[in-house]
Amino acid sequence: MRSRTLLLPAASLAAAALLAGCAMGGGSSAAPVVLDPDAKVSDEITVWSWDVAATALERLGAEFEADHPGTTVNVVDVGYDNAYDKLSVGLQAGSGLPDVVTIETDRAPGYINEFPAGFVDLTPVLGDAEADFDPFKWSAQSDADGALKVAPWDSGTVGLFFRSDYFVDAGIDPAAIETWDDVVSAGETIKQTTGHTLLSLDVATGAGFQMLLQQQGQGLFDDEGDITITSPEAVEALTLLQTMNEKGLLKNVKGWDGRVTSAKDGDSAVTPEAVWWIGTLLGDAPELSGTYGVTELPAFEIGGVRTSNSGGSGLAVPAQAENPQLAAAFVEYALADADRQASMMEHEGLFPSYLPALQGDYFHEPQEYFGGQPVYELFAEQTANIPPITFTTDNAEASDIVANAVVAAVLNGADPESALQDAAEQIATATGREIAGE
Amino acid sequence: MSVTSTLTSVNPRTTDARDSRPAGAGPALRRGILRAPVYLLLAVTSVLAVVPFLWMVVASTHPTSELFGTPLPVLPGGELWANLARLQESVNFSQVMLNSLGIAVIYTVFSSIVSIMCGYGLATYRFRGRGILLGVVLVTMMIPMQVLLVPLFQMMASAGWIDSYQAVILPFLANAFGIFLMRQGFLDFPVSLIEAARIDGASEFRTFYRIVLPVARPQIAALVIYTFISQWNAFIWPLLMLNTEDRYTVPVALNTMIGMSRVDYSGLMLGSLLATLPLMLLFLVFQKQFVSGLLGGAVKG
Repeated sequence: MRSRTLLLPAASLAAAALLAGCAMGGGSSAAPVVLDPDAKVSDEITVWSWDVAATALERLGAEFEADHPGTTVNVVDVGYDNAYDKLSVGLQAGSGLPDVVTIETDRAPGYINEFPAGFVDLTPVLGDAEADFDPFKWSAQSDADGALKVAPWDSGTVGLFFRSDYFVDAGIDPAAIETWDDVVSAGETIKQTTGHTLLSLDVATGAGFQMLLQQQGQGLFDDEGDITITSPEAVEALTLLQTMNEKGLLKNVKGWDGRVTSAKDGDSAVTPEAVWWIGTLLGDAPELSGTYGVTELPAFEIGGVRTSNSGGSGLAVPAQAENPQLAAAFVEYALADADRQASMMEHEGLFPSYLPALQGDYFHEPQEYFGGQPVYELFAEQTANIPPITFTTDNAEASDIVANAVVAAVLNGADPESALQDAAEQIATATGREIAGE
Repeated sequence: MSVTSTLTSVNPRTTDARDSRPAGAGPALRRGILRAPVYLLLAVTSVLAVVPFLWMVVASTHPTSELFGTPLPVLPGGELWANLARLQESVNFSQVMLNSLGIAVIYTVFSSIVSIMCGYGLATYRFRGRGILLGVVLVTMMIPMQVLLVPLFQMMASAGWIDSYQAVILPFLANAFGIFLMRQGFLDFPVSLIEAARIDGASEFRTFYRIVLPVARPQIAALVIYTFISQWNAFIWPLLMLNTEDRYTVPVALNTMIGMSRVDYSGLMLGSLLATLPLMLLFLVFQKQFVSGLLGGAVKG
């Protein structure tokens, strides 16, 4: 019995520590940081990024230091795969984050919603340039009140990559492809004449369904936060995927590696993917040089939007940054400048979401890998056309449910309309949201 | 096989006294047939265990672009030096290996000392609250790491230790599993040895150092290997604590080779291959003690 008395204080201590942790985790007890666009900057900042993005910022960091004497920019490559673990823990703990962090467009709405006070509002510094940025990026990376939390960096403008050699063998003119129906019938001819499947998708993760949805100007939710996946557009997108699978045109692959392997093996006559896929092709499939071409994403009906978004990223300044003023100045320096954004395309392959940068000469140069086609021109033209969509706090959860509906329809032959209806009801139950139009 | 079977059929009882059947086809042969499935199973399992390792060797000698597509290479290629140079250039691999070694060795030494002493104390001394103390130690083992991350991170941040090695090493020095392992081992330690030393006038520390430690070598070897491996492979905590590339540990550095639109698999494979070398070396050195440590545990039950 004596022992009980020993345990009690220990337990209450633990509880107190937990409570204290929560209190601290709330963070943002201090007034929110308000940026002054005309402030004089000095001192030092640390920037977290990854991969080629880190390389680019390191290069621009040195230029920034030269242009702004008395400043130091430290860039750290924190790795791409687990950078979000560091970011999440730092935001939760309210400390330990640097002055600038890199966040992908797909992840930005989640972080902005979950940590409303976690990032500095960049509008005072970048607001004047809003019209110059890819409108989709700007809206996806702002909060509900229109405050820009993650500055748009590289764009995920989508086009249709195709194997020009297969098209020649099958006697199809890629320029004549305008709609998804054209692609499906081209796919049938290609399969008959060359034996290659039309495209490879990872069905378990949604098979690009959301990309097709965004092409039609839709997210999983509308502006009111209602669930939109029962719309005719959504049914059409899912029916398209199902049709391709039923005709034997679709190869189901697993994950990123599966898609790269499939491209190298020639199982993808076309690949609807963002401009950064070029980097993957150049690096991992150099032997296919000269066999690829790019055209606009086929529309759902003639005259429809011919692009979408997949990936891309931005830069954010955490509210806990020691030097938010210098951090914001560096973000503006690197991203809201045509020459610097264009230089990141040229050196590191990061396609700008800053529209004036797309006027540069580099984007009109013929690309050897694509048989001399100036492919960047096409992506540059389409970037401003990416339809903006609405994100909510429930996007991650809804994405999983939608992916299940895609599997049910594409792999198990369920009726697309009822599969999406089921998914919408599941999302409604899980999130308490309403289904649009009901 | 034929030689043994003729030999055994002359006098089967000497080869296997347990086999009561009359000598016919030859018990050794029969035993061989009976065991064939077992050996086959063992062979299959060994292949399953070795193939990933072989693939690591093969993959680390090819450029990444050859690791996609079919057929996959099965023989080593000629890109080993190019991959090594790239690995060194992109993550400063030699520095990172030194960091990992330093952290793992320091952690292993101090954590083992804590575990051995705590385990010894909990097993051999009788004092009030011993059971509760052991219970508290065991309870810490049941708290998942994910729950600890944020509060521990805040502690390290307020101590100003982020991006330092002490933040990687110190929080986990008192390792509940190690303490428990040692305590279980010391429970079976012959008390008469300790008593004999006391009668001879040895101090408590001398008894521990001169009498107990040498006898407990096998279990300490097991502890050392376990502790070293757990720190060597530690990922999430060093990832959260270290913010400078030149201070990264091997798992954290290798992780940065996974990019947005490209994954440098050959570099990753080579890095992982090199990262297993210190573990193999450690195992070779401690193997004898380790095996007897495992067996010791098994017999004691």
